[in-house]
Amino acid sequence: MNAPLLQVEKIEVVYKRVITAVQGVTLAVPDGQIVALLGTNGAGKSTTLRAISGFLGLDDAKVTEGSITFEGTSLQNRPPHEIAGHGVVLVPEREKVFPNLTVAENLAAPVVRASKAGDRRQQEERIYHFFPRLADLRDRTGGLLSGGERQMLAIASALMCRPKLLLIDELSLGLAPVVVGDLIRRLAAIRDDLGIAILLVEQSAAVALEIADYAYVMENGRVVLDGDRERLRSHKDVQEFYLGQGNGVGNSDGAVRRSYRDVKQYRRSRRWYG
Amino acid sequence: MQLLINIIVLASIYALIACGYVLIYRVSRVLNLAHGELMMFGAYLVLACASLFAGHPIMALCAAVVLSVVTGALVYVFLMRKMTGEMVLAAILTTVALGILVRGVIVLVWSSQQQYPAQALGISNPTFTLPGDGHISFWSLVLVLTNLAAYGALFGFLRFGRWGMRMRAAGQNPLLAAQRGINLHGVYALAWSLSTLTGALAGILMALDSGVTGSMPVIALKAFPAALVGGLDSLGGALLGALIIAGAEVLLIYYVDPLLSDVVPFLVLVAMLIVRPWGLFGTREELDRV
Repeated sequence: MNAPLLQVEKIEVVYKRVITAVQGVTLAVPDGQIVALLGTNGAGKSTTLRAISGFLGLDDAKVTEGSITFEGTSLQNRPPHEIAGHGVVLVPEREKVFPNLTVAENLAAPVVRASKAGDRRQQEERIYHFFPRLADLRDRTGGLLSGGERQMLAIASALMCRPKLLLIDELSLGLAPVVVGDLIRRLAAIRDDLGIAILLVEQSAAVALEIADYAYVMENGRVVLDGDRERLRSHKDVQEFYLGQGNGVGNSDGAVRRSYRDVKQYRRSRRWYG
Repeated sequence: MQLLINIIVLASIYALIACGYVLIYRVSRVLNLAHGELMMFGAYLVLACASLFAGHPIMALCAAVVLSVVTGALVYVFLMRKMTGEMVLAAILTTVALGILVRGVIVLVWSSQQQYPAQALGISNPTFTLPGDGHISFWSLVLVLTNLAAYGALFGFLRFGRWGMRMRAAGQNPLLAAQRGINLHGVYALAWSLSTLTGALAGILMALDSGVTGSMPVIALKAFPAALVGGLDSLGGALLGALIIAGAEVLLIYYVDPLLSDVVPFLVLVAMLIVRPWGLFGTREELDRV
């Protein structure tokens, strides 16, 4: 197998020189694939993503060990605009659009990577093709968009940078299932048409395993489980804790009924937004 | 009529200076308290260029303007750049230190006596009589026109220019802007250059009109209330704020007491801070950041 597009090797991220958020995380994103990073709040998913995208430096955090390699170049502790220049672009979890800029301006502000004349317009047309809704909202201010529209705009403006790898922090958080389903379909189309890789951070395993080719599960700053979609879907722990399915007793009309007594108590109490 | 002209000229001075505060505040939340000194530095640069390009007043003026822009960029690159990511207050104090330094250098190099760049350049300052028996000096007229042109250009640039858009984007969310490939250092350096440019234009034109002394930054201090009254993050607000402050100042000088001149801007400011602390067009949430 060829070297993956992005290789993260045993990285350790430390906030304010004392708080370790991520310990020895290793993951790879192959070209043209969608990879998901699963885990609860505080598992270190977002920090990992921030480390890759260079968001860390401004948070007084640092990658202290390990390496982040993208297409053979090291991306560790580089300023975010340089990382974007290499083709790694992040859709952050919060504050993902410029609230006082219109939709059109949100798409006009990003720097198009390695562009020639006409590239910007071509990319803009592609994006309006993926998200026709944004074309209707052109002159609407970013801050007035609904959650789903905002997520679309955030992805669209990230795509304006012509990324090779798109990082998305919490695709489904706070969005209605129907909107999430729509976004998933569009993301798959974007991956297929533009041939870019996507690294997705998700709390919802159901969403992630619907779209991802491969997934990593993080807990307490470490990767505890990884595998391709089928393997994780059939993994017993994932089914129980992450997808909310149990091996309960099927009743007459085929539905599975289970008692709360059967739910294995996991180490900590936790909630899944599956 | 003369009163109206005085108001317009004074408002132009304040507005041209105030937009410099607004530009830097908008992109980086830093109050540039060295703005007055940088403005004065621009005026003294004219003196330097006048001896450099003796006999070519236009070239000397252009050189002074270009040098001011370079000064702004250098201030960012060598001083303020180190302060990105630090506390805003630390950055503001840095500008205070810069202001003191610039003032000291100016006194050292050019002494604290009043100087007349217009004489050094060998250009005159004729006075025009307008209909209605009002008088305006040539350089004051140029200042009013420059102010209008500067605001027009800035509005256009921020609204439609790609880098203007990026400046607004960086002001709203620097992290996101950086991740969209926008070089924050580029944006900040641009803001500092533009701010110093407008400040220096004001300084140069005032110096050509009435000479320059080491006390010129006081005028910039009086323009600061104009920016605050309008709302620190609003360009249109700065223009209106300047008009309000200048109007109040000129009218009170005329009808009450000339000695009020230095007090009026701050009186208006205090009144504004009581009624509407975030300024006429400012964003309310901006307040807790200062």
